Amino acid sequence: MNKKKWFTTALSFVIATVLLAGCGDNKDAQGNDPQASAGKAVKLKLWGAVPVEAGPQAVVDAWNEANPDIEVEYIRYVNDDAGNLKLDTALMTGQDADLYINYTLTRLQKRVDAGVALDLASTGYDIDAQMGPDAAQWKINDKYYGLPTKKNMAFIWLNKKMLDEAGLPVPALDWTWSDLKEYAAKLKKDNVYGLLQHEASFTATIDGTIAGLGVTKADGTSNFDNDLWKQQFTMLHDMMFVDKSTPEYGEQLTSKMPVDTMFLKGEAAMLSAGEFIFRNANNLTEFPHDFQIAFATIPQVTADQKDYKYSGGLGDVLSVNAKSKNQEAAWKFAQWYADGGMLPMASGGRIPSSKSVDNKQAMDLLLKGVEDKYDVDSMNKVVFGQFESFQLSVPQQVLDARKEEYEKYFLNKQDIDATLASMAKRHNDLIKN
Amino acid sequence: MKRRSWIQKQGWIGYAFIMPNMLGILLFFIIPALFSFGLMFTDYQFANPNVSFTGLDNIERLFQDEQFYSAVRHTGIFLLSVPISLVIAFIVALVLNRSVYLKGLLRGMFFLPYISSGVAVAFVWMLLFQPSHGPINEVLRWIGIATPPGWFADSDTAMYAIDVVQIWFMLGYNMIIYLAALQEISAEQLEAARIDGASARTVTWKIVWPLVSPTTFLLLITGLIMTMKSFSLIQAITQGGPSGSTTILSLFVYKTAFSYYEMGYASAISWFLFAVILIITIIQWIGQKRWVHY
Repeated sequence: MNKKKWFTTALSFVIATVLLAGCGDNKDAQGNDPQASAGKAVKLKLWGAVPVEAGPQAVVDAWNEANPDIEVEYIRYVNDDAGNLKLDTALMTGQDADLYINYTLTRLQKRVDAGVALDLASTGYDIDAQMGPDAAQWKINDKYYGLPTKKNMAFIWLNKKMLDEAGLPVPALDWTWSDLKEYAAKLKKDNVYGLLQHEASFTATIDGTIAGLGVTKADGTSNFDNDLWKQQFTMLHDMMFVDKSTPEYGEQLTSKMPVDTMFLKGEAAMLSAGEFIFRNANNLTEFPHDFQIAFATIPQVTADQKDYKYSGGLGDVLSVNAKSKNQEAAWKFAQWYADGGMLPMASGGRIPSSKSVDNKQAMDLLLKGVEDKYDVDSMNKVVFGQFESFQLSVPQQVLDARKEEYEKYFLNKQDIDATLASMAKRHNDLIKN
Repeated sequence: MKRRSWIQKQGWIGYAFIMPNMLGILLFFIIPALFSFGLMFTDYQFANPNVSFTGLDNIERLFQDEQFYSAVRHTGIFLLSVPISLVIAFIVALVLNRSVYLKGLLRGMFFLPYISSGVAVAFVWMLLFQPSHGPINEVLRWIGIATPPGWFADSDTAMYAIDVVQIWFMLGYNMIIYLAALQEISAEQLEAARIDGASARTVTWKIVWPLVSPTTFLLLITGLIMTMKSFSLIQAITQGGPSGSTTILSLFVYKTAFSYYEMGYASAISWFLFAVILIITIIQWIGQKRWVHY
């Protein structure tokens, strides 16, 4: 009977070994690949949040054609919590992500802390000279951990036809929220909103305001209770509940309004959103529209406001994973991408920031076949204009706490003063932690 | 040498058979659970190599965190759905246990929500509860309520609206289990009661209800545990909003861990959640002697 016992123990051991070895084998095959094969191509994986068919595939194909020794594969991640978690997990292993694109300073900061973003100082590439002065907003501890590859833009998209019908001119560059409120009220019609705001642009004005004022006051406490915010919030609240020129907050939230589609269908006269709308606006088969689109800046709160900054600057920050085994190859690709390789993405609104790229060429790509759909004058002034910009460096917890509090205000659960007070209080609490 | 029984000898083979499964549980459940217990005492941020031991800081922070207390409150409201769903399921099961027309079809219809995809269901309810032109509010306006509730769009009603969906979702499963229990009850007992002159109501609440109490107990315990851990429904409908009004503990853990990457703190919250589930279950286990009749 002892024999039998040994037999079963041995058997289970063998089973376990086989099972575990099975897993192990796969890992080895992948891990050894780059080193073992001197003659074969180096394989790189690039993570980005743009859908593969909206440009990245064309970029990667062009690279692979020209560089048979370095093969790049594009992996799309969704730029939300779950997607970023996936990317961060891949980055830690150092095997499945060699290059990746960051979209916010907060996320990049986390990756720098985790040691998965390569300090680009050693590459000798002069980012300040190449990308312009706005690049410095992406410095962390005075160092570059990524290449800001594209121009970020956010503005108000205007339905020029509706503006003309209402007898309103394209607004001046330094217009204010009271002007916007007035425009929205005049442009509102049955089944047509005066203004729609994309979620990504909802806080553009208040962010631009504290970017100038400072996130905290001189004594280190929160600046979330400043008077300009109060004015902007109150005006927006009026637009929702008094003028009814913009959707009520709860309504927009729960029906998950497709704001870009609504604007292109003519269900809104103005849309506050980023340049990513070009992807749909240029797609006349899926989103046909017979009006011209004009542009305005995202307005400041008051005319005499000091130091207001515009949402924009640079974005799409391409980093090399410091744990990657093929950092040299990855950097080679990164540089190529920034200095023109990314051009196929321009038709979706991603204008390269590198001075090695001819701006004219990118604009032509952006407007190819849809030249008559845009108001050239305002486009040149706003879309291709130069504004003082910012990158907000506020932790996600603080942004979420702020959102919870202003949501209470826009859902009429809390008055404006209590809202500002609790935003500041929660911010202060998180500063202390 | 001591003689061993056949069963004892077979035992080894038994272990061999369950070993693959046990290995899985050990690797993917027990070890991570112990790991998270350890994390509770650190300031570990996901992906960040700098970890330091912080003792009871996370637990202290937990009891000072207002977000945590509101998450506990929301969880409490969410748990209300369990007993309500049980009572409704019991009544539906009673009706369907009699001879009604289309019994089979009705049973199937009540069970349907349970087997449908959670995300699809969430989407349907979002449309139904849409505040300005959703069917539910249209009906309420039609019967004369001028300003019906905003449901998911209103931080005061969102949690209750989630309860409604959860009740509806659990109804089919609870009903099927109750139906099985009802069919176990012998007709003689009920007939005897009727001959003694008991009214239909007395029979139902004094005889049938106590007879199915073991089922109620089972459904209550599993229901409370499941509800407390449930996540996908709320994540699909409101993501914990508006203004945090549907953030129950499990969502709070998710946000802390996977949005803010504060793994140490998130571990502390989830161990608190575990402790609550354990305590509730123990209380019920002790309390069952008073009302569960086997």
